[in-house]
Amino acid sequence: MLPHMEITLDTLKRLTRLAGFEWEDAELEALRPLAERSLDLLARLDAVDLGETEPATQYRVL
Amino acid sequence: MDALHWIPAADLARMIAQKQVSPVEVVRAHLERITALDGKLKAFITVCADTALAAARAAEAAVMAGGPLGPLHGVPYGPKDLYATKGIKTTGGSTILADFVPDADATVVARLAAAGMLVLGKTNMHEFAYGPEGLNGHYGDAWNPWDAGTHRVAGGSSSGSGAAVAAGLCPAALGSDTGGSIRIPSSLCGITGIKPTYGRVSRSGVLPLAWSMDHCGPMARTARDCALMLGAMAGYDPADPSTSVLPVPDYTAALTGDVKGLRVGILRAHFTDVAAPEVRAAVEAAARALEQAGARLDDVNLEHVALVPAASFAVVGAEALAYHAGWLRTRNADYQPDVRERLKLGVLVSSNHYLRAQALRARVRQEVDAVLARRDVLLAPATPIPAPALGQKDARLGDGASDVRSALIRFTRPFNFSGHPAISLPCGFTPAGLPVGLQLVGRLFDEATVLRAADAYQRLTDWHTRRPEEMGGSGRPPSPPGA
Repeated sequence: MLPHMEITLDTLKRLTRLAGFEWEDAELEALRPLAERSLDLLARLDAVDLGETEPATQYRVL
Repeated sequence: MDALHWIPAADLARMIAQKQVSPVEVVRAHLERITALDGKLKAFITVCADTALAAARAAEAAVMAGGPLGPLHGVPYGPKDLYATKGIKTTGGSTILADFVPDADATVVARLAAAGMLVLGKTNMHEFAYGPEGLNGHYGDAWNPWDAGTHRVAGGSSSGSGAAVAAGLCPAALGSDTGGSIRIPSSLCGITGIKPTYGRVSRSGVLPLAWSMDHCGPMARTARDCALMLGAMAGYDPADPSTSVLPVPDYTAALTGDVKGLRVGILRAHFTDVAAPEVRAAVEAAARALEQAGARLDDVNLEHVALVPAASFAVVGAEALAYHAGWLRTRNADYQPDVRERLKLGVLVSSNHYLRAQALRARVRQEVDAVLARRDVLLAPATPIPAPALGQKDARLGDGASDVRSALIRFTRPFNFSGHPAISLPCGFTPAGLPVGLQLVGRLFDEATVLRAADAYQRLTDWHTRRPEEMGGSGRPPSPPGA
């Protein structure tokens, strides 16, 4: 089990600004619990051993 | 003869070609149905009564002239309101695009027109296709026709397409499917809908949710209807670089009714074994019906499937945010709250997460390919639960509690991720009278086998012919069309 990810309002605000967005504090605060759950989800990707598998970036299958 | 609004698209096309019925009568019958029922169902965002009737008159004239007719000549349908339709507003289920009137048709809309189909109206959807419940705060939440008393969701994001076909407002529709948005409403509304292989059908002219996960496909009453529509829609399109150059087979020719020797892998862990008991019972019974018809069953598990939610969030989150970034800066308040929230979570996805997710995608695709190397189709429920009530937040699955949203997309999303073709078709009803959807998954670009298995099942059973009683159906199978 991976440790729970926590994100402060300040960190979330910096993150969104870096992405080019200016959102209200109230909106970000409401988003924070969902953001923490989403970070928990993304952390599962960090934990998986993908070996030498290349990203499937080619659009056309055939 | 059945009322026109209950006759499947393939039968309508045959009756029109044989001059048993006029396209004008067919369109009028469906428009009357919409007038009577859509105030409650909210299946359509736009109804094109005048243009549909004009097109029907032209279609009637073509029949009387005796010239060659397309395979779906004169049959009306409803494209989900994210398909560009020339001269008809295309909102994406959002007020942001409330006044957007495209000057050209999406490729598949043009192809269906060439096959003879007529646009009856544009169907409702979850705003910008970002939700499996099919909710829309701007144009109203579609009502599942199978429960007149309780407002149950139609499933999304192609909720209007599912409700419209189920209630007899149109014989066929178009959906789009990024995590299950064709198969979920097909399952919850008791109709048939296929998500083809990624690259089989053009996405040109279709508002995107996530470019690498979006699939376009038909929703109708039968696998045969889907086969006819898919045959008209599929194939290479220079306007969509993801489309395949592989030739499109005659899907209707594959509908032999024969499943003898068909190798069917029942998806167990994560899928069938964790579905709600009434869903599992219906799906197990469907597998047995196929076995009795000569199919060979075995059990299958997919090792990496538990990671699909994380990887899909990374892919869809990043791609959806990239598409919506401009409007999120300038029209933030115009999104419905749940969609705005989901879009904003995309800022959490790093390039590392995105590319690791895409690498996992390659793994999952290889894994599905490997199990399908020894089988013809995989079988599972399309959704683990029947249609939830509007506002229901939680569901109980075999491996624990889940929020409704995650539950609805759990069985469908892995095949958006892998790109394999998958269909949902009705396979029974819960004791409360709600439809249960059976999902069949095939090899890449082998929609023909998926449709063959689905059609064979529909020859063995009559679930797909049931109608919501509250919508004027009897709940019993209809008499054969044209009889």
